[in-house]
Amino acid sequence: MTAKGWRPVLQWAAAVASIAAVTAGGKLVGLNATTIGYVFLVVVLLLTMWGGLALGLAMSILATACFNFFFLPPYYTFTIEEPANWIALSAFLVTSIVVGRLVVLARRQAERAETRRREIETLYGLSMDLFTSTTRVAPLGEAAGRALTLLGASAGGLVLFEGGNSYRQQVVWWTGPRGDEVEDIVAGVGRHSQPVQLPSRFGTDFYLPLVLGGRASGVLVARGAHTSKEALESVARLVAIAVEREKYIEESAHLGALREADALKTSLLRAISHDLTTPLTSISIRTEGLKRHAARDSDLAEDVNGIAEDTSRLRRRIEGLLAMARLEGGTIRPRPEPTPPGDLFRAVRENLPRVFESRSVTARVEPDCPDAYVDPSLALEVLVNFVENADRVSPAGEPLELFARKHPLAGDQVRIEVLDRGPGIGAIENSSALSPSDVPGRGLGLEIARSLAAASGGSIGLSNRPGGGAVARLDLPAAPAIVAREEV
Amino acid sequence: MVDDDPGIRESLSKELRSAGYETIAASDGREGFALTKARSPDLVLTDLAMPVSDGYELISAIRASLTTPIIVLSVRSGDPDIVRALDLGADDYVTKPFSVTELLARVRSQLRRSAKLLSTVLAFEGLTIDLDRRHVVQKGREVRLTPTEFALLELLATNAGRPVLLDQIIARVWHGAPATTGDTVRVHMSALRRKLEPDSANPRYIVNEPWVGYRFIAEPLT
Repeated sequence: MTAKGWRPVLQWAAAVASIAAVTAGGKLVGLNATTIGYVFLVVVLLLTMWGGLALGLAMSILATACFNFFFLPPYYTFTIEEPANWIALSAFLVTSIVVGRLVVLARRQAERAETRRREIETLYGLSMDLFTSTTRVAPLGEAAGRALTLLGASAGGLVLFEGGNSYRQQVVWWTGPRGDEVEDIVAGVGRHSQPVQLPSRFGTDFYLPLVLGGRASGVLVARGAHTSKEALESVARLVAIAVEREKYIEESAHLGALREADALKTSLLRAISHDLTTPLTSISIRTEGLKRHAARDSDLAEDVNGIAEDTSRLRRRIEGLLAMARLEGGTIRPRPEPTPPGDLFRAVRENLPRVFESRSVTARVEPDCPDAYVDPSLALEVLVNFVENADRVSPAGEPLELFARKHPLAGDQVRIEVLDRGPGIGAIENSSALSPSDVPGRGLGLEIARSLAAASGGSIGLSNRPGGGAVARLDLPAAPAIVAREEV
Repeated sequence: MVDDDPGIRESLSKELRSAGYETIAASDGREGFALTKARSPDLVLTDLAMPVSDGYELISAIRASLTTPIIVLSVRSGDPDIVRALDLGADDYVTKPFSVTELLARVRSQLRRSAKLLSTVLAFEGLTIDLDRRHVVQKGREVRLTPTEFALLELLATNAGRPVLLDQIIARVWHGAPATTGDTVRVHMSALRRKLEPDSANPRYIVNEPWVGYRFIAEPLT
């Protein structure tokens, strides 16, 4: 027999001995029946508290017998003469049993409270472990393990599902043996998000899903646990929250990095546009000063005009690139507004004075042509690009035409065309003398135009013009027609 | 002229001087305001983004006590910055890089406006507007306008050469009526333009100022 096995025997022997000692002591001192009754009662209560209800019950019967035998007349018999003594004896027995029971109940309650306190302390410790320090999942498993041990589980583990798939199990922490059946149980618990409880050699095995709302993100296993299911479920919930938090921290770090990259891009764009625009402004102002001085020297004037033209082309290219970058980076969105095509044509003329001075450019808007619903600055970039290209491929003196009308097929669109009498697009593709930016679809300028048109909800196209030359088309959404309700 | 970039200050001063104007240059808003107070120029040209004290600060400071015309030199067209500057009291803007010719035209227009006495008959090339008789003649033919259209035309023409904000139009023509939106303004404006413009492909009088409002572009006859 083990030391533990001896314990009840010793307890009972000690209890009997203490009743005997009280009896002998009482007899020696010559205590009266009332006093010894109280002493017996106190001893029986103490023994009940110490040894439990069964021991207490047995000791109350033994004490009653001793009380009767040694202290109630006639002494040394179990007979009782006076009826009052019967009552005293019965009262003693009932009191000792009832109070004994109460004492035991109180003690059990205290023990349960103590257990709950320990559980809560453990859960608190776990929550602190989980939420104050961890930034990775490994310490999460260790913290859960510590909590399970404190709650009396002999073994256990924490399994997380990768991407919510219960068959892709990542074992974060595990103690004790782990067979294939464990993996299957874990997968089943994860799929159904329902806890499973199985009896085992050491107690009960709990498989608790880590669920917060939707699907299980993993399973917490507690083997041979003697603690309450509620406490284990609390642990599982805490771990589930911690896992979610982990995921969230990871995602927000990623988002933060993206935001930072975006902010960097924005400030870079801002800096570039400022740092390029300021010297360009200075250059164009000085060029105009030079133009004035060069008015008398035609060779010089031509050169200076060339510089002015190149400067403004450079500026437009930079603006186009920046606009494209801003649109793609999402730092600006197109701000469409109803825009009359005539306004766009006028703005083109202001942007390309040299083209309009050097050749005849006619602009025409059909009477029934609706306004375009477009970001004016984007549409302008596209048209300026078209006209510049048309000007460069057209022989000197050949006119250009700007034409706006309702789209012939789609009534909710506006078609704006730039027509030239250049070599047309088939010829351009065969020409080796032209730079790539003149070749439709391949040059930087047209690439920018295509991207800006697309951002405006429109499209561009290029085709040969009947009778020679090319037609560059920009199709844009039409602004909804609203009619004024006011009489003349 | 207020700009933090010495290159622009120097080149622009030179151009303005050769156009016959006298210039004073400052490198930030505070210095600009001090010089405006001390020398009372006829016109202020200012950049918006400047270290220490920016263009907005300068515009607010000037508008608190002076009516000196202000033209803003802005980096990007269609920027909310421009609307903000106009709201604060700037009279016009040009976007960098601008042409000197364009800037000089704006400067002339502002100087003329501030010097001009309020006349009741506004005359432009091919267009006469009699404000008292509410009579509009375009190339010899009378243009019949609705009261709203006339109010629009009056507001724009008395501010000829200067951008008028959508909000200002709503406040002045519709007296800030709550349901008035940019769309309402656009509808009446396009009706007005249909009646006024001889060729819609080449507007001569009124143009959209993207995201800002409208501008009356014809030069007043003197």
